[in-house]
Amino acid sequence: MTSPTDLTTAQPVEAGTDDTPQAPAAAAAGAPRAGGGGTWHALRRDAGAMLSLGYVVLVTLAAVLAPVLTAVSGWTPYAFDQSAIDPNLGGMPIGPWGGVSAEHWLGVEPGSGRDIFARIVYGARVSMAIALSATALTTVLGVSLGLVAGYFGGRVDLVISRVMDFLMAFPALIFMIAVLSALPASNRSALLVVVISVFGWPYLARIVRGQTMSLAQREFVEAARAAGAGGTRIVFREILPNLRSTIIVMATLAVPGYIGTEAGLSFLGVGVVPPAPSWGQMIAASVKWYAVDPAYFVFPGACLFLLVLSFTVLGDRLRAVVDAQEGR
Amino acid sequence: MKHQRIATAAVAVVTTLALAACGGGQDASSSADGGFTAEPAQGGTVHVLQNADFSYLDPARGWDGGVNNFYRLVYRQLTTSAPGSAEDPNEIVPDLAQGLGEVSDDGLTWTYTLKDGIAFAGGDPITSAEVKFGISRAWDPEVGIGSPYLKQVIDAPEDYEGPYRSGDLPTIETPDEKTIVFHLKEPFPEFDAVVAQVNATPFPEGSGAGDEFIHEIVASGPYRLAEYVPGSTIQLERNPDWDPATDEVRAAKPDAWEFTIGLDPATIDERLIAGQGADVNAISGTVQPATLPRLQTPQLQERTLQLPGICTTYMGLNTTKKPLDDVRVRQAISYAVDRTAIVNASGGTQLGEPSTTILPSTVAGHKDFDLYPSADGTGDVEAAQELLDEAGLSDGFTLTLDIRAQESMQAQGEAVQQALERVGITVELNLIDTATYYETIGTPSQQHDAAITGWCPDWASSAATFIPPLFDGRNIYEKGNSNLAQIDDPEINARIDEIKAMTDIDAANVEWGDLDEEILALAPVVPLMVARTVSLPGENVTGLHASANAATGGIDYVGVGLKDPEKG
Repeated sequence: MTSPTDLTTAQPVEAGTDDTPQAPAAAAAGAPRAGGGGTWHALRRDAGAMLSLGYVVLVTLAAVLAPVLTAVSGWTPYAFDQSAIDPNLGGMPIGPWGGVSAEHWLGVEPGSGRDIFARIVYGARVSMAIALSATALTTVLGVSLGLVAGYFGGRVDLVISRVMDFLMAFPALIFMIAVLSALPASNRSALLVVVISVFGWPYLARIVRGQTMSLAQREFVEAARAAGAGGTRIVFREILPNLRSTIIVMATLAVPGYIGTEAGLSFLGVGVVPPAPSWGQMIAASVKWYAVDPAYFVFPGACLFLLVLSFTVLGDRLRAVVDAQEGR
Repeated sequence: MKHQRIATAAVAVVTTLALAACGGGQDASSSADGGFTAEPAQGGTVHVLQNADFSYLDPARGWDGGVNNFYRLVYRQLTTSAPGSAEDPNEIVPDLAQGLGEVSDDGLTWTYTLKDGIAFAGGDPITSAEVKFGISRAWDPEVGIGSPYLKQVIDAPEDYEGPYRSGDLPTIETPDEKTIVFHLKEPFPEFDAVVAQVNATPFPEGSGAGDEFIHEIVASGPYRLAEYVPGSTIQLERNPDWDPATDEVRAAKPDAWEFTIGLDPATIDERLIAGQGADVNAISGTVQPATLPRLQTPQLQERTLQLPGICTTYMGLNTTKKPLDDVRVRQAISYAVDRTAIVNASGGTQLGEPSTTILPSTVAGHKDFDLYPSADGTGDVEAAQELLDEAGLSDGFTLTLDIRAQESMQAQGEAVQQALERVGITVELNLIDTATYYETIGTPSQQHDAAITGWCPDWASSAATFIPPLFDGRNIYEKGNSNLAQIDDPEINARIDEIKAMTDIDAANVEWGDLDEEILALAPVVPLMVARTVSLPGENVTGLHASANAATGGIDYVGVGLKDPEKG
């Protein structure tokens, strides 16, 4: 009558009710919760999800391999190229499509002649690093606080819920701009992650809290409680695994939002500090040149658009698959 | 305060400025119906499109390139700079006074006699008492925050704090209604330029305390305020009490002026390119770099007005910081800087030219030299590296560069960063908010290793307002410091005193040019470029003459008018 045995039996029961077709396999494997393999299988048949995933992987690879890629292309994101711009025309890139050539694959920046391809792959590093760190931080914060609030209820729930209400009602963007312009510019990236996360976690925490409240009433939790498991153990060992798909979906859907926020803040001039490249900054700088050098806007704009779209589609499809599995 | 904007009241001496109208090699006279410099017709409304609001309507407070030109439409002083159309537009000529000042033998007493028929809007005559009252406002600690020259040059009691706190200023005498006598602290041969400063404007006695002139104008010039919506519009209408017979400087042909403020620079360019409706009567400052490629059609080329610059953009090297205290390191930086990249990053060759001297070519005393030459102005990396090796810094070092958080300055900073990286110097850009930038770099305790900023001269006749404020070692202040390099070299200080004492201005200017070269041998600053103006006036606007003195190298408003007042 040790609790571990009880726990392992408790979970497949829960899983089985949710996911009948897979229950035998899951139970046989002793998996705490079924659905992982099934979800992936369902996603693989979805062309939209696969294309999105492909693009996300491509951008991630480009970000990770940025130094290698720029070594191949021959231009670092900071190197000026005076021969690629026309000094007499305000520093406009020479050649069509913003100076696209064998030398500069996606053209050059007006005024400085810096390579746009190099700036985009290095900018992807900034965008991805900030968005993924912010997602990780909000997920940790949102899940733990949501679980605690939902399971323990009472005064704890009251305090956490009010804090969430406050943060969600707060004019976050204005506050972010104010904070980022007031604080010194050193290590803006870390600051961006913190500021975005502070305002981001309640959205996940709310959902986790609601789900926890309903899960806490389920038989397997009661069984665990009857078996003598403590509150922390129940929360993290019993309830949390059952929230896995919710968290994955919510996190995937949060990433594009954070990418957009980072780009927006950089666009407004409070993002990462130059000369570090960032997509939002590139778009902001390109606005003035839209009439004579539209390519300068098109390349970073398309990259940003596709990345946000990919994460959104991916999150959306993931949710559809998970919902369908849970509905069965 | 005057290092404050790169557009401080400015002055230069070269007469070629006057007819600086040539778009892409075209002669002004070749364009249709008189071009840029035809005599305007009487009447109509000139529109001015601008992004930034004027600093202050009160000339005791405001003192920058943008607003000085505006003051010229509504205020008059004892003397002023000649109109942009004059043979020498930088000459100081009489305005309210009948003639230039009469100086005593010891050079300490200057006497001016007022013209007849001069009056404020409303009809009250301007007498010596009003002139004295207006000038004494410069001593008020709250109001007198503009040009410092009156306070620096005119003798006044130590504790004098303006007419509102300390009452009458005893050291300015007004023996009768038409005569005003100034006593100076020490001889100042260029005193006529001091009473031409905008804060020497007369005002009715007792007016203008506190914030009274924030939204009000007591006009003495050809126009008075019709409507002012801060941050949005200023409308001027003709001042019926201004008698053109008393004013040889202001043609003042239009009946009204309308300043539209708060427009996005790109919007201004779009409107001027389109030239629809009332915009045919519009003028503005310089165009955006991104607009230049669009001005290549023959029609727009014909309307493009190019004006030379008079302000030097430079990088100050803080000589109190290691390793910048070593002259070889500063010289190495001077060699390594890539001026071509800086000019391109600032909008290309139409909007700027590289500068290797402190004094721009348009300013009196300019001497052409390049102590740190390189092919195509891209920097001499080998020479720089050699000097760093000598200084024992072969591996380079890290340097913090203060940059104003503004696009073109940031681009200049990045260009410097790239150029210095070639010799192993890592430049860290320290972005400072535009509002506090000049205050920060003007405070030695907050200043970092280097900073990019600009300087414009304050008046025409000499380089006396260019070199001393930047390099006189006795002028390093805890706040509002303009000697960014914090260089205190006894030889330079002695040379400044020596040249300042010269009464022959032309000979002094030659010396200023030599001193420029002597100073740059020590490389306390690195001159980078001189920004130029490319403007696109509406096709119905004419009388466009540049004035270094009145308009910081821009278009002198007092000559501007319309070809056809019925248009637009």
